Amino acid sequence: MEINALQATLLGICACLSSMPGLGGTTFGNYTLGRPLVAGLVVGLILGDVQTGIIIGAAIQVIYIALVTPGGTVSADVRAVSYIGIPLAICAVKGMGLDPSTTQAQAMAAALGAAVGTLGTVLFYGTATMNLIWQHIGWKAVERGDFGKLYLVDMGLPWISHILFSFMPTFIIAMAGAGMVDVMKAYLPMDGIAMKTLFTVGSLLPAVGVAILLKQVVKKPLDFITFFFGFTLAACLGMNLIASAIIGSFFAVINYKIIMVQTRRAAASAPTPDDDDEEDI
Amino acid sequence: MKKLSKKTLNKSFLSWFYGNLTCFSQEHMQTFGYLCAMLPVVESLYETKEEQKEAMETYTAFFNTEPQIGALVVGMTAGLEEAKANGQAIDGEAINGIRAGLMGPLAGIGDSMIVGTLIPILLGIGLGLSSGGNPLGAIFYIVVWNLLMWFGMRFVYFKGYDLGGKAVEVLVGEQAQAIRESIIMIGTIVIGAVAASWININTSLVLPGGGELQKTLNGIYPKMLSALAVVFCWWLMTKKNISPTMVMLLLVFVAFVGVLIGFFDPGLSY
Repeated sequence: MEINALQATLLGICACLSSMPGLGGTTFGNYTLGRPLVAGLVVGLILGDVQTGIIIGAAIQVIYIALVTPGGTVSADVRAVSYIGIPLAICAVKGMGLDPSTTQAQAMAAALGAAVGTLGTVLFYGTATMNLIWQHIGWKAVERGDFGKLYLVDMGLPWISHILFSFMPTFIIAMAGAGMVDVMKAYLPMDGIAMKTLFTVGSLLPAVGVAILLKQVVKKPLDFITFFFGFTLAACLGMNLIASAIIGSFFAVINYKIIMVQTRRAAASAPTPDDDDEEDI
Repeated sequence: MKKLSKKTLNKSFLSWFYGNLTCFSQEHMQTFGYLCAMLPVVESLYETKEEQKEAMETYTAFFNTEPQIGALVVGMTAGLEEAKANGQAIDGEAINGIRAGLMGPLAGIGDSMIVGTLIPILLGIGLGLSSGGNPLGAIFYIVVWNLLMWFGMRFVYFKGYDLGGKAVEVLVGEQAQAIRESIIMIGTIVIGAVAASWININTSLVLPGGGELQKTLNGIYPKMLSALAVVFCWWLMTKKNISPTMVMLLLVFVAFVGVLIGFFDPGLSY
């Protein structure tokens, strides 16, 4: 499957908009266009195969379901995952003649997406470092009281960083992508150790994504009960995600009421410790 | 008595909504986004260039938080700046103290509630709607997420402006905490369902008697290997403090060894 120059250009623009400090803004850029599920739709539209795009995007999304960047440390770069990883994965799946809806094709997409995303952190640090130049211009403007320049510094000049660190890499890799798949096919047989390992890694990777999320909510082993409640709903009872969310909401309402009753009781009993003493007597 | 117009506040909000991280660097993070958001406020409250420069000086201090819930702080400082311009007993230093004090707690709430809970719930439902390559899931996420954030951020910005220092109570009071805990519960249950639906770890190992190990495992607890893999990764990251990238590399090694001993076999050929 070939990606032409126009398609590569569109992918490059999406990369500029969607990266972590992206020019689409935080809400629409990073947290909308940058999510692999949404990128699957966008890349699918650009490459003319929405169905494959969505399936591949969804498979990669599971790994990055909770990409939290506390204090600006990143373990993966969304623009690389979404606009380099997904097009490459689509090329690879089609080039190798896999059916996108199989778990193997999704494992392959996950492995490629994660590899690209991890290497892509270089792009994150590149953009952030180059922005220091524009901020330097900004500080000078603030000193002089030339405040109008602030908008240019915050929203205009970073485009230069993004042309270098988002647009160019995406454009070049997308154009070279199809050739890369041919090389893989020629040198790495599907039943060889390397490809078997690649597919297996892809099937293991979503576990990391889920674990990153659980790291925040599960502090002690007992907290796993809530997680396994949801897991069992889907794994044993075959419930889909919407049904699980509804059941989850039901228990959340109960939980909320219990906490509120507890706080009210604590508040009611706190100022009258004397009463308790009398009852004891 | 100086009063910020609705138009000025809207302009300030829009600057923050769009530009909070566009000029990110490791050194200043959201500082420039903050300067842009405060500029309309400062320009409308102070006449002379000297006063404006002095007021803007306050916001050159480092700022970084979860930017979406952080709209609350921007709204608050707009209100405080207005009070300051009207001669109330508040100075730039006090404003910066409040700002600095809120950055950390709000980042904690925002990262865990918005990025760690709301987004995964919406994405989880989106994933559920995407089966077979259906674009409905992505469309659902785009529409619901952006509407929630647009109205949510507007709400906290103007709440912050109206209430000033009291706005924090909306987020950290007892009721707010109970709601937070309960929403995290939904998130954790949905993530459990996501894990069971989307992680497919199977073994191809054949037992000495001729039976398939995978079938035996399914009889004990379906998707047991997927569940174990999640717990293993959690254990590595939480108890052993290994970074996600290192865990991924470790999984490459696990996969390689697994393939060598015949535990894993995707069973494909060109």
